[in-house]
Parts: sequence; structure tokens; C-alpha cells
Amino acid sequence: MQKIDTVSRQLMLESLKHYAEQKLPFDFLRKSDAENYFSAEKVKEIYKTLGINLLLIPREYGGLASSTSDIYRICQALARIDLGIATAIFATFLGSDPINVGGTEEQKKYWFSKMARENLLVAYGATEADAGSDLIALKTRAEQIIKDGKITHYKINGSKMWISNGGIADLYTVLALAPGGPCWFLIPRDTKGFTQLKHEDKHGIRLANTAGLCFENVIVPAENLIGLKEGQGFLQAQAVFGYTRLMVAALALGAGQEAVENAIIYANNRVQAGSPLSHKQGYMHKLITPHYIKFEAARSFIDQIAKILDTNNYGQATEGAIAKYYASRAANAAADDAIEALGGFGYTKDFPVEKIKRDVKITCIYEGTSEIMEMTIYRGRWQEHLKTRGNFYLDKAKEISTDIYKDIGGKALSLGLNALNDILEECRLNRLTRHQHITLELGRLIASAEVAFAFIKQAQSGSVVEGCPFNLETIKTMARINAKNVALEIASSGAKLLNSALEKPTEKDLYISEIAKECCGIIKDMDSISSVLKDTFRK
Amino acid sequence: MTDLKSYKNIWVFAEIDQINKTLKSVSLELLSAAKKLAGELNCKTAVVIIGQENKKFFDEFSKYGADIIYNIEDVSFTHYDTQNYFQILFALTKKYKPEAILFPSTYIGRDLAPRLASRLSCGLTADCTALSSKDANLVQSRPAFGGNIMADIICPNTRPQMATVRANILPKIILDIPTKPQIIEEHFKAIPSKVRLIKTKEDKRSEILKPEEADIVISIGRGVKNKETFSLIKEIAGKLGAALGATRPVIEEGLLPKNHQIGQSGVTVKPKIYISFGISGALQHTVGMNNSDLIISVNKDDKAPIFNLCQYGFVGDVEQIVPKILQAINKLK
Amino acid sequence: MNIIICLKQVPDTAKVKMNPDGTLIRTGVPSILNPYDHFALATALEIKKQTGAKIKVLSMGPSQASKVLRLALALGADEGYLLSDKAFAGSDTWATAYALSCAIKKISPFDLILCGQMAIDGDTAQTGPEIAGQLNIPQITFCSNIEEVSPKTLTVKKLIDGGHQILEITLPALITLTTPHNFVFPYPSFTDIFKAQEKPLFTWTAQDVNADINKLGLKGSPTRVAKIYPPVQKQKGAVKTLSADDTALEIIKILQAQKVIK
Repeated sequence: MQKIDTVSRQLMLESLKHYAEQKLPFDFLRKSDAENYFSAEKVKEIYKTLGINLLLIPREYGGLASSTSDIYRICQALARIDLGIATAIFATFLGSDPINVGGTEEQKKYWFSKMARENLLVAYGATEADAGSDLIALKTRAEQIIKDGKITHYKINGSKMWISNGGIADLYTVLALAPGGPCWFLIPRDTKGFTQLKHEDKHGIRLANTAGLCFENVIVPAENLIGLKEGQGFLQAQAVFGYTRLMVAALALGAGQEAVENAIIYANNRVQAGSPLSHKQGYMHKLITPHYIKFEAARSFIDQIAKILDTNNYGQATEGAIAKYYASRAANAAADDAIEALGGFGYTKDFPVEKIKRDVKITCIYEGTSEIMEMTIYRGRWQEHLKTRGNFYLDKAKEISTDIYKDIGGKALSLGLNALNDILEECRLNRLTRHQHITLELGRLIASAEVAFAFIKQAQSGSVVEGCPFNLETIKTMARINAKNVALEIASSGAKLLNSALEKPTEKDLYISEIAKECCGIIKDMDSISSVLKDTFRK
Repeated sequence: MTDLKSYKNIWVFAEIDQINKTLKSVSLELLSAAKKLAGELNCKTAVVIIGQENKKFFDEFSKYGADIIYNIEDVSFTHYDTQNYFQILFALTKKYKPEAILFPSTYIGRDLAPRLASRLSCGLTADCTALSSKDANLVQSRPAFGGNIMADIICPNTRPQMATVRANILPKIILDIPTKPQIIEEHFKAIPSKVRLIKTKEDKRSEILKPEEADIVISIGRGVKNKETFSLIKEIAGKLGAALGATRPVIEEGLLPKNHQIGQSGVTVKPKIYISFGISGALQHTVGMNNSDLIISVNKDDKAPIFNLCQYGFVGDVEQIVPKILQAINKLK
Repeated sequence: MNIIICLKQVPDTAKVKMNPDGTLIRTGVPSILNPYDHFALATALEIKKQTGAKIKVLSMGPSQASKVLRLALALGADEGYLLSDKAFAGSDTWATAYALSCAIKKISPFDLILCGQMAIDGDTAQTGPEIAGQLNIPQITFCSNIEEVSPKTLTVKKLIDGGHQILEITLPALITLTTPHNFVFPYPSFTDIFKAQEKPLFTWTAQDVNADINKLGLKGSPTRVAKIYPPVQKQKGAVKTLSADDTALEIIKILQAQKVIK
């Protein structure tokens, strides 16, 4: 079946940009943010005008069946407009996921056609007050109603919390515990006994409606049980974690880029002591350039994982966690510095960076907090490390120690990956992972290492990621800087980490002095990146 | 191969205004330019004029240096018509072989010149802002890429060399001794045109210009304190055909509607001339106007950042200066 | 009615900046459909709505330029043609008009050719009337609106200095259109973009349109670019402190030099 091609993807992103310029100017977003209100009609107008809600719906039911590579770009572009609006739209994607994963053909046909035809707003109802990432603690119950020996209906009781689109959706996919185990139910808004609570007063993404849900003896027909089989709920949820977390990574990336690009434009215009701020090394190297390098690293990683998901559909749970963890932290740090980069202006609501800073925090929270991500990353890779008897990172290190990676930081990162392997081995031999402190830190180092690895692979591939505004030379320089930084970070953090848990210092040197030698030329490289950034983002 | 040497003289297409039937001043600017080029290239200048009752303009042509006037008069040529004007110029060009033809860069010039160039298989340079000569070629200078670069264009292998030239850029130079032009009458019969003029209408200048559409913007900041000064500024704007703009504080005081706010949360303007009164130049404002072609600023604080942006800065009290400007303009008219 | 629209993909000149050495900074400059052509397309789509006209869009450029054709197809055009050949590279307006007119002859029959009045990267406004010249069909340039459409004629509003004219033109003809300030550029929905993937889009070489290779590209262009250089930089002017009278006089002088007042 025909797929959305590159040109169409570009045109879709351009249409989205045009729509935002015409219908969602900054002043309007700012006002909506202050009023903590963005109506369901406005979300639906986006659906109606652009058909953005059709992206996830299969072709045969009136949708566009877009790939993960399409969707992440759309998420990224949406986040550049407003992360709250992006969240509202993403929630519709998320809400239809359980149908995609576990629905029967008949369910898909009925619900997807209806969603496409009626531009339905969908909400994804999993989280509860005492069940976040630990869904196992789920309290919402679904009782079977049996008639003539057949389950005809379910009676649902319980409540949900912090549901995106919670107050405004037309259709809800709700996780509840049935006698046969957790499962997803499709519940239309107007179902008797189902009430939506008030819109939360949040720190950011105030244009996204977020509300609790309450179910009191809500009767739903048995055919609304997704997959028509009890007990599949967790599997269905977990199958898409890699995917959904990748999307959150793209959302974070978009918001972060927007903040930093705003700062660069400001820095090009603000003259201090005779020259624009963007010409000042100290300013750029501290507040701007490192962030954008991380964004490009994240873009490469996200793009590579998206391509894998396009062929495999599900899985990539560790990679999804790495993407989300890395991109959301990079975006938060960048948005924070963007405020500083604009000085007093940045601290006012006249400029968008203040709002982005508040908005982007959510990407460290929803779909699993950063700490849950660290844990997931550590668990996933610890298994790999054990399974491969320590070859997981050694193989990667070997791969990039060849000549073709020489100019893009291959040697530095190769040393860094060897160091990472040593750290994992020391942890294994000394049983250091009994410290949760250590496991989370390992998650952090692993994420940086794998993203840096993906980045130099991209730089070596000979082309930049579609949509990247830079040429290959710039990407190579960025990859080189990043590889060196990450290698040094692994070695130095690793040394501290091991020794802080050990009685006497580790004998591993973690290649720290060799890596330090590789750091020659970072400042020169950063100067060239700063210059490219100031030329690329102008107004 | 065209015999380039057989082409002589610099021609100017004299344009007559379609509304008030006067000679467009740009025609004389072109004639002055042609005169200079003819001196350099050792040839003559010629004016081609098509219309009705053209003779009344001949004195002007002689004052500005026409050596030859090709006069084509007929009541049917009163209004510009692409096909008829084209066939006349096409025939004349074939007959007299000019070295170069200059057209005004107006709606008419830019309609006629390309039509002619395409049929003569000649080079044409649009909207030139300077003309010179080098190695017997006409060097045509023009801005490109939205004014971001300048390009010099030549047509070394084809004749005539053709250019449309922007009005109000080149100087008009009256000769000390007027020429005695040779007048050549040429007669053409109008051909039935496939374009029929239904009506011509003069457009009144709209009362309230939008700042993002105007060539001139006069903007006010908090330095404009009293309403009296503001109404004088409005009057000046009216006389200059300028749009009014303002900084956010002024807009918030309600002096002008929101769509006149220039800057970060308002509109971005890029007029030919931007005049600011009492604006200090905070970044929120300047991001909306710093690409203006020419910036003139009046502000009482000599340290105001606006003075870092402008080509002409004046330190002084707006309340005193504005009335003087209006007086001076009124005196001129 | 058959309408052909000539489209050009251009760099968004609003985002083009210069290096201090006078070269263009090209990084990060997006390619867009020339805004004037966008309006021409919207006008044609309006005619299609009224009369059921068939719209064919034509562009010349590298293969990436097919993006503007796809945009046009997504917005409602019926067929796209891309002239793409190394032989076209470096064409000036004359050679471009020649190449496009060759393609138009091949696409024929047509009743109406619409062009944007100019492209924002060249600002020449010449290609449209040069095509009309090549095809020997009547033209009206700088139109702000098409007022009436009938099978044999078109009534348009054309800009002239200080006013406008209403003109009627016999078809087939070529019209160039200017873009109103308040024009809101239409953009297609995701669905229409996707459906446009299936619409006919042809790529033609010089040979495909029977163009004489000697009349194309640099070789076929009568004009030559002799030199490119940065415009005279705006200078930060002196800040003067004068009496109110003298300040007013100076400002008047500047306005006179700028020919705002006499």
C-alpha cells in the first residue's frame, strides 16, 4: 500500500506551520495559557482543517496510516507551536493505540471509521492516583454482567487522574481490572455514570485539557472490550511504550528547539558592547550551542528508532526510554538556559521562552518520569550486558574504532564505550547494582552513550536526517564534539560512581587520560557550530 | 550572428500617464541617462513617443538632450495597448536598429519591454537602478534576491540592449543648451486589439494606511506625550502618504488601534523610510522595524538604543520639532 | 476551459541574509512556492470552482521543484509538469520563457495561462510577458483580480500608475497576477496532500518538449551576469543635536533627497 512520501511529509509539515501562523499566533497562545483554556472546538478545528487526526488511522477506514517516521516529525512540529496543543492531539493518537494493538478487525472498522468521520477527540485513561508507572496497582474494576451464560456487559467502577483531553474527549480508552486481568474498554463520553472532573491548574501545557475521570456503575457493552479478551491490557500497553515514549522525545525536541531558536534570534538582534550577543563565544558556548548539539544527537537517535519501529511495529522499549529521557532532559536544560539567554526579556511573558520552559517540564513526567526511564534503561541494558557477557558495548566500541569514524569522534566514543563496559563489569563483580543510586546513574550514562553512538553513525552515513537544517559537515562537527563530551562524562562520572560505592578505589582507569587527550579542538569545533547556528536562525 | 556594429543610438521610451495624460517624469530621467551613455558610446539619443498630441512634450525632450524624436501620433494610440505599442516598436527597431532601448520600470514599461525582447530575441534587464558602459556594452545594475545582492548585467551578443529602469533613482539633468532634435514622424495604423479597455479609474489613497503595506512609516513612542503633537504627526503622515505605527505602551494607551503596533507582539514592517518620534528603541520594538531601508529617529536621550540603528539620528524634543516639520512641509506646498 | 499555471520554486528571500563578504547565506533558507504564483493558483482554483476548468501546473527546475507542483496538485490542480534538464540550468528570463513556451505547446490546447507577476528571487516580472511573446498570444500583466470569466473572454482588473483599469481580453491569453496584501495563502489538508501523490505528474527534458538546445541555459541566454556584489551597506549615521528649526530642516532635506517631497 502506498506510503506517505518525503514530499508529502514536507508539505504536511508546511501546512501545519501555515495553519499555526494563521490561526494560532503567539498572542493567542499566550492569552490561552493565561486563561488556562483552549476549547475542544479549537482542537477539532485543527482536525477538520488539516486531518491530522487521520494520521494513525488505517487507510481502509479513511485514515492515512502514517509511519512512525511521519508521526514523530508531526509531534515535533506540533510541539514547536504549543506543547499543550501537541499533547491534546497526541492524546488522541495515544487513545487509539490500544485499538491498533489489540482491537479485533470489527472493532477497528467500527471505531476507526467513526473517529475519522466524526473527528473524535480521544483520551487515554490509564493513570490513577495510586497507579502511575506502576499500573499493577490499578484499582478501577470491571465486573462482568452475565446474561444467559454470556458476558453481555461490564460494570466499571473507579477513577482516573491527570487524563489528557479528560474533560473534553468524545471517546475514552480506559484501563480497568476485569476478573480475567487488566483490559481496555472503549467508553463514549455520554455514558451514564461516567463523569469528568475539573480541568487541572497546571504549571505548564495549560492549553492541554487535563482532568480526572470518575466511573460509578458505568455499564459498557462487552463488545467495547478491546480485543474481546480479558487480561491483555498490560501487554497492549507495554507493546507501544517504545513508540509512545519516542513520541514524547519528539515533543520535547520540538519544544526545546523552539526555545533555543528563539534565543538565537534574540542574540542576533541584541547588541551589547558593539556586537550582537550571538557573536560572543562565552554566551554561545554556555547558553546555546551545547543544547543544539544535543538536539541534533537526539534527532538522529529518534530517527533511527523510528525507522526500526516502521519495520517492526512494536518493541524498542529501552530505546524509547532512552529517547524520551535524553530528549526531555536536553530540552528542559535548553529551555532554562533560553530564559537566561534572553535576560530580563526571557523572564517576561512577552517572549515565548518562559512558556516553553514551563510546558516542557511535562516531558520529564508523562509517559513515565525520568527516574522510571533511568530504571528502564538500566534494566534493559543490564540484561544485554549479562546476556552478551560484556560484549554489548565492546562490540559497539569496536565498530566505531575504525578509520571511517576517525574524524567524527569515533576514537573518543570508542574509549567511552570501553569505559562504560568496565563500569558495568565493576558493578557486576562488586554487586554494586544493589544501590538504586547506582542503577539510576547507569541509566543516565547509558542513554548519553547510545545517543552519541547513534549520532556518529548518522554523521558517518553520509546524509543528514530529513528535516535537519544543517549540512553534513556541520552534523559531523556536532557528532565529534558530542562524542568527546560523552566519553569524558562516562569516564569521570563512572570513576566517581564506582568509588563512591566501593571500599577501596577501583583499579580501572576508565581510559580517562586517553579520553582527555581526545578533547583537543572542542572549542574550535564549537566556534564553528556557534557560527552556523547564528546564521541559520535569523529573523 | 548579429552584426552588432550596425546598431546605433540610445533610445528612450517616453511614457505618458494613463490617467492625467502628462509625460511621466521618469522619461526625462531616462533621457538624462541616455545622454550620458550616448556620450560614452559616441552615438545619439532618441525618444520614442506614442500617443496623441505629443508635440507639447518636445520642448522637454530638447531640454534633457534628445537628438532624435520618433513621433507616432494617432487618436487610436491614446491609451496604452500592448499589441499596438509592441508592433510599432518592433517595426521601428527593425528599421532603425538602436544600440539600446531604455524603458521606465512602470506597469507599462514592464509590460511592453519583455514582449518586445521576447520577439527580438534580445536580452532585457529588469528594474535597473544604475546604468553605465564598458567595452561598448551597456552595464545594467540591479538589485536581486529581495535587495540582498546587486548584479551587473550585460548583453554582449545581442542588440538592441534593453533595460527597464526604476523611477526616482537616476538624476534628471537639464542641459545648458537645449538640443534641436530631429523629428521623425512615423505612421502606423492601429490593429484591432484582443484587449479592450472598459474603464480607467483613479484610486484614491486610502485614509488609514496599514504600516506593513506602506512605503513610509511614522512611528511614535512614549516620547510623544501630548495629543496635540500626535495630531500634528497624523497630519504630517497624511501629507507624506505615510502609515502610522507605535510602540506597545502607546497602543495600550489607546492612541492607535492594535494593528498599528510595531514589534515583538505587533507587526513587522520594512518600509523604504521609517521615521520614529520619541522611541527609545527597546528590543521589543526594534525587532519589528530594524530591516527598514532608511531609519530617521528623533529622541531626547542621546544614549537611546534607537540611535544605534538609524541612518539619521536627531537628539531633541519631539514636541518642539514636530510642529516645525509640519510648518516646513506646508511651506513647500 | 484549460488553464496552465506557471509555478516557480524560490528561496524564501525574506529569510536570505548576506555574509559580510557579500555572499549569500543559504543555510536554513526554505524553498517555497513563489507567493505571486500561489495567488495565481488560488485564482485558477476559483475559476475551476465556477466553471469546472482543468488546471495544469508547469514548473522548471531541479527535481526538488516537484514539491511546488505537488502542493498545487494537493490544492486542486489536475496535472503537473516539471521541466528538468541540465540544459535549462542558467537560463535567463528569455531562455526560461522559451523553454516554458515549448512545454506549453506540448501541453496544448489551453485557453488561459496564468503567471504570478514576478518571482521574489528575481523580481524581473519578465518571464510571463516573454512567454506570451513567444506564443504570440495577447497578454495583460499586473492584474489584481479576474472579474469575469466567459468561454471566449476574460475581464480583469489591471493596476496602472495611480489607479486601475478594467480590461476585457480575448482568449487564449496570458495574464500575470499581483498578490493582494491581505491574501491568505491556502494550504492543503493532510488528506489532500496524500491524494496528490496519485495525481499525474510528468517530468520532461529539453528533448521531450522539442526545445532547441542552443536557445536554452547559459548558451541561449542573451543576458550575462557580469558581476555580483553586496549592495552599499546602510551606514549607521551620525547623531546630531541641533535646534528644533534646524532638525526640522534636516529632516525635510532627507525627505527631499528620498524624493518623498519636492
